[in-house]
Amino acid sequence: MKPLLGPTQTQLDACVTCGLCLPHCPTFRLTGDETASPRGRLTAMGAVADGVVEPDGTYAAMLSYCLQCRACEAACPSLVPFGQMMEGARAHLATVRPTTTGRIRRLLVGRLLNMKWLLALVTSFVGLIQKLGVMRLLPRRMRLARGLRRQRVFPHSAVGVHDLTPAVPAGSVALLAGCVMDQWFPAVHDATRGVLQMAGYEVDSPENQQCCGALAAHEGAEIDAARMAVRNTGAFAGYDFIVSDAAGCSAHLKDYGHWADGGNSVAERTRDVTEFVAELIASGQLPASKANRGQVAIHDPCHLRHAQGIIDAPRAIVRAAGYVPVEIDPDGLCCGAAGLYLVYEPDTAEWLGDRKAEQIRQAGPRTVVSANPGCEIQLRAHLGGSYRVIHPIELYWESLNR
Amino acid sequence: MLSGLSRGWLRPRGRKEDGRLSRASGSATRPMSLESDLIATLGPERVHSHPLELLVYDKDAGVTRGKAIAAVLPETTQEVAACVRLARKYQAPVVARGAGTGLAGGAVPAEPALLVVLTRLNDILEIDAEARTAWVGAGVLNLDLSRATEHLGLHYAPDPSSQAACTIGGNVATNAGGPHCLAEGTTVVHILGMEMVTATGDVVMIGSKAPDPSGLDLRGVVVGSEGTLGIVTKILVKLTENPPAIRTMLVTFDSIQAAAAAVSGTIAAGIVPAALEVMDQPMMIAVEGFIHGDLPVDAAAVLLAELVGLEAGVAAEADVVERIAIEAGATSVKVAADEAERALLWKARKSAFGAVAQAAPDYYLHDTVVPRTKLVDVMTQIYAIGESHGLEMLNVFHAGDGNLHPLVAYDAREPGSEQRVRAAAEEMVRASVAAGGSLTGEHGIGLEKRDLMGLVFDPVDLDAQARLREAFDADGLLNPGKVLPTGARCYDYDLGELPGGGAQ
Repeated sequence: MKPLLGPTQTQLDACVTCGLCLPHCPTFRLTGDETASPRGRLTAMGAVADGVVEPDGTYAAMLSYCLQCRACEAACPSLVPFGQMMEGARAHLATVRPTTTGRIRRLLVGRLLNMKWLLALVTSFVGLIQKLGVMRLLPRRMRLARGLRRQRVFPHSAVGVHDLTPAVPAGSVALLAGCVMDQWFPAVHDATRGVLQMAGYEVDSPENQQCCGALAAHEGAEIDAARMAVRNTGAFAGYDFIVSDAAGCSAHLKDYGHWADGGNSVAERTRDVTEFVAELIASGQLPASKANRGQVAIHDPCHLRHAQGIIDAPRAIVRAAGYVPVEIDPDGLCCGAAGLYLVYEPDTAEWLGDRKAEQIRQAGPRTVVSANPGCEIQLRAHLGGSYRVIHPIELYWESLNR
Repeated sequence: MLSGLSRGWLRPRGRKEDGRLSRASGSATRPMSLESDLIATLGPERVHSHPLELLVYDKDAGVTRGKAIAAVLPETTQEVAACVRLARKYQAPVVARGAGTGLAGGAVPAEPALLVVLTRLNDILEIDAEARTAWVGAGVLNLDLSRATEHLGLHYAPDPSSQAACTIGGNVATNAGGPHCLAEGTTVVHILGMEMVTATGDVVMIGSKAPDPSGLDLRGVVVGSEGTLGIVTKILVKLTENPPAIRTMLVTFDSIQAAAAAVSGTIAAGIVPAALEVMDQPMMIAVEGFIHGDLPVDAAAVLLAELVGLEAGVAAEADVVERIAIEAGATSVKVAADEAERALLWKARKSAFGAVAQAAPDYYLHDTVVPRTKLVDVMTQIYAIGESHGLEMLNVFHAGDGNLHPLVAYDAREPGSEQRVRAAAEEMVRASVAAGGSLTGEHGIGLEKRDLMGLVFDPVDLDAQARLREAFDADGLLNPGKVLPTGARCYDYDLGELPGGGAQ
């Protein structure tokens, strides 16, 4: 276990304060305020590390206002690992200045989210209120529930599923089931498994896996995050590839190198399903449709575009499904979902969600693809019922089954 | 499709009164009255005074750290004026700040001052496609303006390397340049008018859409004055037509002197390319680590040349540039095949400074100008100066107009390193000036070069500038301690004794 406490001096030294990250930061664009910018946050982290200022409430607020979208990281010519630094700074803060809300947040993402029975209970509850049609009675901070897919009252899980071995498998794939992904988006897992099997892969969803720990890491629950990373590193040993169909999770698995011994091996074998399938389409192992089924808007999840640099893959998949991809946002600014952000910074999350929804309305298509569950929930909540928001792999799987 | 910037989508709005920063800073409880007056005017969420918040605002992209009393985020010209009047009431100096991408410390308070942050004045107020002008707020980002006018076939020509992040207001303050200012001229020739808050908190209009405004033409005085004459809040800019044909060439050399010779040769041949940029090997290696653009990292230096105009003219000029480059010793000439390749080359050039941290944690960037005929000579001297101080040098510069940006990468925590860097910096500036050059090409004087002004101006010149400044700001409250060295206005001249006339 390698818990991460505070950004390292080398990481802090990497910033030359050039400011090229500023226009890429959603909270800076929103406020024009250096204290809400990546450079400002790094300056603050450095000042706390040097003991120039106390890690007080202002510092905590500065860190907590960050969406962790990592758009700054993609824009940084000095390759500052901002995502890791923010995770470290939040973990450090949790130790030196614990607060009740912080503890609750970390308990939620570090422990509760990983309890399958609890999540199943919540899912049943959501399924029930959806059936009863009383969603609008929920308080504002809970409105993300509006963006959920219709849930089953009796949820099912992909964990432990082993798909029949093809005669000559192209390779073995471990599917990361994930936490909410497993419970709330079973159709995405079904599509992923179907497509990979079709390409000749043996697909498992190993029994002893857990939540990837991304949300725990983002919240600074570093011990929980490390524990999950260690557990998953063991669970995924021996597979050729580890595939995730949630961008936030694949991005985090690729960061396992500093979370667990042997994590580098997980990182090297991890593929987001979009990059994996796009490659199979490009090499002809999966078919590309020549049909013209209309237009589909592309939403780039931050942890796909900025954290992993995957931009072309979802577009290639949409084309292979017979649709024309339509761009909505050249900057790829965060939609405001950002994990739990929309729960604790509802104003900013709502503003960014409205902005993104408006861009989609301007673009035209009524179908939007998003390769990350959080974004999907946020987009559906902001677009309303007349838009279809799905994972690109579902669109592709659908086209194969026509 | 733009991200909606032109529709004002990203216009920031204040966080709620009960929001985190105001609550956390607890600023309302402190007794300081300038602060409480500012809070009464702008509300607590737009006034920062907590030590950590101020620390974040104490510095720009350069190396010097200052000290702010408070940082405020006004949203209108009237609010800026109100802040200036309040500061005046308490005799507190006022420093204007844009995105904080300056490299000469122009927005760093030299003495404790109120920082007026103009990022929220970010509306593109009017675009006149026929007259090719636009009224913009001082906080509009340079690149956003060009993107907002792209569909009209127009752009805003000055393009500093920090183009994606810097504000037009900051460009006006420093009279910013950029690669394409070789043919198009620096900021000053693209500014038609400005709305400015004076030192007394009044709002005045300088210049107009008319090409030859009546009365004294103060535009050239205000542009580049680094916030010492007033705070510019709205700007009327000239827009430039996008060229019908563009050719971008990447030429490699086995020495930086050869690259510099090719530049001098091109200019001597009477060709003024849109841009002529040189980058040396260490810089290229750092940039390649970021963009992964297959840059020729084996070459000792590269020349990035861009030719624009009508297709036939561009093709003919490209041939001449290529011939001159080969005569100067070019080892390869590559033309960008499409817009994507061209964009990548420019991304490489414009992320250069930011990529330096890959070499060392701190950098000191110089900005001097030398006559283009002296490029080879001065470059050789500059490398020698760096070497004599044992410093790691990286070079990337606007070769076409002789604007040098030698950059020293160092580690500030190493004892004595800053002194060595500054000593080398001064030697480099002296070498440039001795070759007939100037102190600054585009970054401004700010704090960094203030005390070197004496190298290029004699006391009479400096006194004239100080008098001009006094005419705008009698009490010296606007960005004090910048541009002019202390004592520039050290005595009153008896007009009769002045050599060759008067200072007026």
